[in-house]
Amino acid sequence: MDDIIFELKDVNFSYLGKYPALWDINITIKRGEKISVIGANGSGKSTLLHMLDGLIFPDKGIIRAFGKELREGDLNDAGFSRNFRKSVGLVFQNPDIQLFCPTVREDIIFGPLQLGASKIEIEKCLEELTAMLGITDLLDRSPHQLSIGERRKVAIATTLIIGPDVLLLDEPTAGLDPLTTRHIIDLLNLASSSGKTIITSTHDLHIVEEISDTVYVFGSDKKIAAFGSSSEILKDERLLMEHNLVHIHAHRHKDIVHVHPHQHTDHH
Amino acid sequence: MFKKSNFIERSLTGALSFIKGSIFAEGYASRIGFLQSLDPRIKAATFLLFLLQILFTKNILVLLYLYALCLMLAQVSRIDLLFFLKRTWVFIPLFSLFIAIPALFSIFTPGDPLVSFSLIGHKLTITHQGLSGAELFVTRVITSVSFVVLLSITTKHFELLKVLRIFKIPQVFVMTLGMCYRYIYLFAEIIEDTYLAIKSRVGTLVHYKRGQHLVAWNIAYLWHRSYQLNEEVYKAMLSRGYAGEPAVLTDFRFKPKDLVWFIFAAIMFTAMRKYG
Ligand SMILES: Nc1ncnc2c1ncn2[C@@H]1O[C@H](COP(=O)(O)OP(=O)(O)OP(=O)(O)O)[C@@H](O)[C@H]1O
Ligand SMILES: [Mg+2]
Repeated sequence: MDDIIFELKDVNFSYLGKYPALWDINITIKRGEKISVIGANGSGKSTLLHMLDGLIFPDKGIIRAFGKELREGDLNDAGFSRNFRKSVGLVFQNPDIQLFCPTVREDIIFGPLQLGASKIEIEKCLEELTAMLGITDLLDRSPHQLSIGERRKVAIATTLIIGPDVLLLDEPTAGLDPLTTRHIIDLLNLASSSGKTIITSTHDLHIVEEISDTVYVFGSDKKIAAFGSSSEILKDERLLMEHNLVHIHAHRHKDIVHVHPHQHTDHH
Repeated sequence: MFKKSNFIERSLTGALSFIKGSIFAEGYASRIGFLQSLDPRIKAATFLLFLLQILFTKNILVLLYLYALCLMLAQVSRIDLLFFLKRTWVFIPLFSLFIAIPALFSIFTPGDPLVSFSLIGHKLTITHQGLSGAELFVTRVITSVSFVVLLSITTKHFELLKVLRIFKIPQVFVMTLGMCYRYIYLFAEIIEDTYLAIKSRVGTLVHYKRGQHLVAWNIAYLWHRSYQLNEEVYKAMLSRGYAGEPAVLTDFRFKPKDLVWFIFAAIMFTAMRKYG
């Protein structure tokens, strides 16, 4: 039982009580798993990640984290909340929301500082991490003056520096160039091989196979439409088409227009 | 004509980015200068003394002296003087309009007449007492505003919040203050972005009426949007372990320099209380 990290049972959630965002969700996540969440825009991926991060709570059903039911009140308890925040880290979909300090440096060290890490430790991690992500030069800039891709790298750094056991990433590679995407994937796989649990939401089908063993497909009805091993799901073209995850390419061969669905399972 | 049509929008976004620039000039806080090198606790405490002095005194010379001190401090803290003057004097018209100018006249401040003139059939008289009162008022406002702006631009945001906590200001209050601060920032930022977005969509050839309409629509929408964003940002802070108690990297440490500065400020405070 000990290695179950998250357990969602019949979870429903709607924003402001009227905009449904999750419907009858049942998910069990074990320690060390690599999971992808895919689905069309507005299917509830971000909402799920926010719930796993203890920022919102089910209207109906329960969520258990580390074997204990997660309720809003628990996170008001300083001790519990500190432990939880140390073990679970979320990279938000919108880096502008995640970055709120005047400089990149302050932003990256914000998490460990709040969580009471030692100064020497923070400095050391900061140096290593920024070197790895290639953002050392940006440390004294304001986050709001960076390019979108740079912001995303900084946002990823602000979460990674906490060193959480469970990493939640909301479209971490959107807007990144191929080389940086590669770095992020390598980083995630490194983290995974050291035993961390990785849960990623993405539209980027060609990274799904590398960053996940299990894939959940969310439908526009905010339910889980399908789940299975990543190779299984990626082969199911009809399923992917149904959920806006592949697009149709039209080619012209001589005079005949030839149309076929097109998956982004590899680079071209 | 098109110049005119964009006037409201331009002045609106101009004012906002100006306010943003004055309150959020965080770049100055990381410069190497005198005030930046002081212990934030000492700095805040001495500035509080100055502000008290400014409130108590009725002597314009004391105010002028304090104002000169403030400008000098800005200078040794490597703050661009022109920037500083612009950012602080911008508040004056606002206050003057409502308090200082009415106070000039005999209706509000009775006394010996200085000049009289009639305006739409009413005889208006500016009194000596009114004039010196207004002078005192403007000097008081500009001096206190300058000290507050100087403190806020030479201290990092989270350090300032932490100092408030050290001064035993309740956590709820400090947290709310921090949120307001970010809220204003987001609001200013969104307005700027939206203005750009509108411009790119409809071009600069916005008709006068339509321009007005857009602005009116913006304000309501923007308050809402920045409020929502502020909540999201708060979530992001929670996610990284923020529990309402700001933590900062640099330890607050008293240095001999802080002691010297504190003694200087304390002596000045007592001297001015006595002779001012
Ligand atoms: N703050 C909010 N207020 C009201 N409704 C919201 C809010 N955030 C999301 N929703 C609604 O909840 C549903 C799920 O949104 P969510 O952000 O989880 O989708 P998503 O799968 O992450 O989409 P995307 O791929 O666009 O990021 C959507 O229908 C959306 O309209
Ligand atoms: Mg999303």
